[in-house]
Amino acid sequence: MRIAVLVPALAAHDAVSNDALGIGAALRRFGHEVAVFAPHARGVDEPVRPPGEIEAWLRSPRDVLLYHHCTAWDLALDLLRRVRARRVVRYHNVTPPEFFAGWSEAHVHACARGRAELDDYAALGAELYLGASPFNLEDFTRRGVDPARCAVLPPFHPVEALLAETAPSHRVPAANGATRLLMVGRIAPHKGDFTLIDVLAACRRAFDARAELLRIGALDASLAAYGDALRAHAAATGVETGVLALGGAGTADLRAAYASADALVVLSAHEGFCVPLVEAMALGLPVVACDAGAIAWTLGDAGIVWPERDPHLFAATVARLRADAELRDALAARGRARYREQFAPAALERGLRDALARLERVAARTEAA
Amino acid sequence: MNPAPDDYLERVKAEIRSEAERARERAPLPRVEIAVARAEAAAADGIERERRDYAIGELTGPDHRAFVERAFRALLKRPADEAGAERQIALLAAGAAKAEVLGDLRWSPEGRRLGVRVHGLLPRYLLAKLSRVPLLGYCVDWALALAGLPMLLRHQRAADASIAARFEDVARVHAEAAQRFDAHAAAQEQRWEEQDRRNAAVAEDIRRALLRVDALERRATALEEHTHDLAALRHYVHAINHWVVSLQRSLDALERAANAERARADAFAASVAESAADAAARQRRHAAWSAALKQRLGDGARVLDLGSGAGAWLEALLGAALAATGVETNRALAERALARGLPVAHGEPADALARCDDAALDGVALAAALLADVGAAEALLTHAHRALRPGGVLLLRVEPEPPLAPGAPIDAARAAALLAAAGFADPLALTESDGAAVLARRPAP
Repeated sequence: MRIAVLVPALAAHDAVSNDALGIGAALRRFGHEVAVFAPHARGVDEPVRPPGEIEAWLRSPRDVLLYHHCTAWDLALDLLRRVRARRVVRYHNVTPPEFFAGWSEAHVHACARGRAELDDYAALGAELYLGASPFNLEDFTRRGVDPARCAVLPPFHPVEALLAETAPSHRVPAANGATRLLMVGRIAPHKGDFTLIDVLAACRRAFDARAELLRIGALDASLAAYGDALRAHAAATGVETGVLALGGAGTADLRAAYASADALVVLSAHEGFCVPLVEAMALGLPVVACDAGAIAWTLGDAGIVWPERDPHLFAATVARLRADAELRDALAARGRARYREQFAPAALERGLRDALARLERVAARTEAA
Repeated sequence: MNPAPDDYLERVKAEIRSEAERARERAPLPRVEIAVARAEAAAADGIERERRDYAIGELTGPDHRAFVERAFRALLKRPADEAGAERQIALLAAGAAKAEVLGDLRWSPEGRRLGVRVHGLLPRYLLAKLSRVPLLGYCVDWALALAGLPMLLRHQRAADASIAARFEDVARVHAEAAQRFDAHAAAQEQRWEEQDRRNAAVAEDIRRALLRVDALERRATALEEHTHDLAALRHYVHAINHWVVSLQRSLDALERAANAERARADAFAASVAESAADAAARQRRHAAWSAALKQRLGDGARVLDLGSGAGAWLEALLGAALAATGVETNRALAERALARGLPVAHGEPADALARCDDAALDGVALAAALLADVGAAEALLTHAHRALRPGGVLLLRVEPEPPLAPGAPIDAARAAALLAAAGFADPLALTESDGAAVLARRPAP
């Protein structure tokens, strides 16, 4: 069977790209013929074809077009409407545009269009809607998609490479005994950076005057105003010296960051999945997070999840983690176990096989009808 | 996949929540307003959100990327996304008409939702799409081309004029740019030359530094060799030091032995008994010599007797009413004289004489045995000459006393010669059968 994997863009260290390439590699191991299609590719060590060749490449109605939906893209929608193949919509979620209101008009437009296209994709009648989490699938079931055509498959990720990394980091400074909060992910309004700064301020005032926030993630140029506002907020709360913003990070830096932190603190208001949670669980770093989107589902019992975004509550949690070795060890053990059972490569491949089986069943039923 | 919350975590969370409340009370956060930079200025981004009506000429004016951006903002009311813009530019590059691009955007799902009206676009868009139909499109293109040939020729001529004008502009700009480039190149050439000079100076500095480094290396090598020599020398010094210490110990031992031997000799000399005949002869001799001395010096003259022995001669001087004191090297003899009540001190005659002031004495009496060593004799006589007042008298006794005193025997003639050599005048020998005395005077200046 030929399977075309279509992505709006491919780039190194990008979660959607990692998932697309990981799924492609797994499908090849299953014995399928796989090709990756994208209009742009940067830093990807794999042949990538232009999307215009998809229809010619797919030869049989039993072949599959697997599209990764994460932003608005007319071309993909048109292609899915007319292609003579089985269609899988791999959904990574699209951030609601209201988060970007006031910060970036371009992001507001792009996200609004991406969300608006969900109606079109739901109406498409694809054979399979493959969500990265149950939270993601709700976007389609709410729009009337048959749950029988829906399946959950967590995203493929390079966490094993992170676990195997041994190179030293030259960018992550040592914590030297100070409380260190860590947040990994692009710097964007829905990631809760303002509250993170408040948590740091609460930590410094109530528990450890030397506490610091290690922030790993890039800031898009069109969100410069958001970055400026974060800096101003840190200065206004008196913690600007405690915020270490490293920008993007390679594997060695990421590994060092997880090793040096007391907890991964996730205050995102919207997450369709959240790969850093999986990284922290795999490395045994306790996670403190706010219950939003797919976070609670991803963490399970392997982290501390609060329903409210109260800075003192998060600060007290980190302080407790530093003081309570039993709690720390328990969460680390639960995290590693959850990673092995749910998110390790073997578990993901099992999930992908199940999804393909579901695709076969739905396709057979459709053809019979 | 989502397990039920367990009691352990729930209990921990309750404790954390209590701690958070206490933390909030003791360390509240300041109220800080988040300065959200609302982008109301979006109206200034060129998107006319309320406008729903355009003439096609308003949109087809710009070219290439500006045309695509304008089309997105007018028809979709948003900036062009990167993928969408690239796709439309690719269409233009493939020879598509602007009307086709505008139509694609206008009648895309997004464009249809917005429903912006562009006067004159629909027929042009239909024609553009019609030209995409195989064979029919080719015929339509031919028909349109033939029908529009006069207009095309006018456009061509207008385009030629426009291109010629642009070429002139470009040529002018090019010439200006070439002038600026030449000026920059000349300036750059000067900078390069200056840089070359600096590089040459730096190279010279480096060469000198390298020479200094070579010299230092050579010195370091020499020092290293000297270090080896120093190590050997150190070894030798240690060996010599060891040898000197050993020698010092041997000398100390020899000195101790010599002192002991001398003490034994002194004791032996002091213990030798003088015969009665010798004693009678000595008393006679001494009486004569002391009388002669008194005759020259007068009563109460200050006389220092060096080498007093057991005090026999000193006793004679005192008996002649001279103010005499004695000095004796042999401790046993000096103690014996003291025991007899005589003014004798134990010590070295030369030291006693050296401590006397200039011209402080009227007379000095010496045992000839003290002059046995020529060096010692010269020093002793020089000091005696100094300590005697002008006209003072030195008496040199030449007699076998003490009987076993060290040194070579000295006769009167030799004693007189020594005194003359030391600056004394008028030597007079008083010779007895068993000894002699030589008297000499310190001449007046």
